[in-house]
Amino acid sequence: MLYNIHFSIDVDVAMPVEDKSKSLLPFLASPKFLSNESEAEFQSGLQSLLSELDNPSPLAVALVSQLNESLWWIRRHTVDKELLLHEAMARLLSKAGSNWMGSGNSKLSVALEHYLDGSADKYQAGLVEEALVEANLTLSDLRVRAFKDAAKHIKMVDDLIHRQHQTMRHLQRSIDSIDFKSRLIKRMDLELAALESKQPVKGALTLDDEPS
Amino acid sequence: MTMNHRRSLANQSNALKSTGPKSVAGKRASSQNSRKHGLNSAPTFESSLEYQTLVKLIAEEGFSAFACADIASGLLNYRRVMDAYYDTYASPEPVDEFLRDANVKASNPIFSELLSPSGSEPQDVREMAAFFASMQRQERRKGGPVSRRTADTHKLIRYQRNGIARLSRAIRQG
Repeated sequence: MLYNIHFSIDVDVAMPVEDKSKSLLPFLASPKFLSNESEAEFQSGLQSLLSELDNPSPLAVALVSQLNESLWWIRRHTVDKELLLHEAMARLLSKAGSNWMGSGNSKLSVALEHYLDGSADKYQAGLVEEALVEANLTLSDLRVRAFKDAAKHIKMVDDLIHRQHQTMRHLQRSIDSIDFKSRLIKRMDLELAALESKQPVKGALTLDDEPS
Repeated sequence: MTMNHRRSLANQSNALKSTGPKSVAGKRASSQNSRKHGLNSAPTFESSLEYQTLVKLIAEEGFSAFACADIASGLLNYRRVMDAYYDTYASPEPVDEFLRDANVKASNPIFSELLSPSGSEPQDVREMAAFFASMQRQERRKGGPVSRRTADTHKLIRYQRNGIARLSRAIRQG
């Protein structure tokens, strides 16, 4: 698990910047995905972020892909918040039910998830409705109680989302810094070129042909 | 001598026979028993291909040699943290559904059957039921799979904070 760089590098150092940014993309832009996630969706998000940059350097591309991953994590954690509520709702229903041993928490949890999605079959809907009647609760009452019950873990998810926002802020500042640096270098190159072109007298101060 | 005391003595004498791993490989393996994510160990990136390639690429962007080394190792370190973060998130501690959903009160006759078939040791049965109930409370307190992975990934926040701060500082000072 440790230091598991799950991407390969195949970059020719001498190639132009545009090509480098393209070939560097798989280097840092392919994080691991869960079974229900679409890599194509992740890549399209990355491409849209990259399209906002004007001729990005390889390092900028690497940072933008980390930024995209942070956005992806925020999405995962936001889904988790709802799942935590479902878990707590199922737990409360199981506790209140008389068939605590028989129905099981996970079975009820899955049924509840489908029921809330509107994709529950007859059996699952029956299971949830029966549990609600047995617990003498409405769905909204149950949700309120579940929110209270799962407050500790929901706060944790909020912390995780906040961390990703902070990470994105760091990455944005780094990208700005790289952009500023490259603009500064370009400007100095242009100034040197202008100075060179203004040298009319032979034998006067000579500058290098290729300004660095 | 009671059954409980005899069992306790047997456990103690068996424990004395176990002296841990003897071979070098066994000792090496058991030294990693308590390792969770490995983020507390100091990483060495310098010899890796990824590091060398990154340093070359970053050098072309006008950074000094020191800055290149800092940025490359910062970036690889950040990836290391995020990989561990993913692994922790994707494989939380499994839920023991049997223990969580079991009805302890209803299980008392089973404990009686197991521990004292003659029905002469109710104290043992009570102790076993109390132990089982405490394990169940612990299991329930951990919650379902989503609660577990949330709690586990929450522990890695500080590594993420340090990793991104190090990378960002290296780039802005470079």
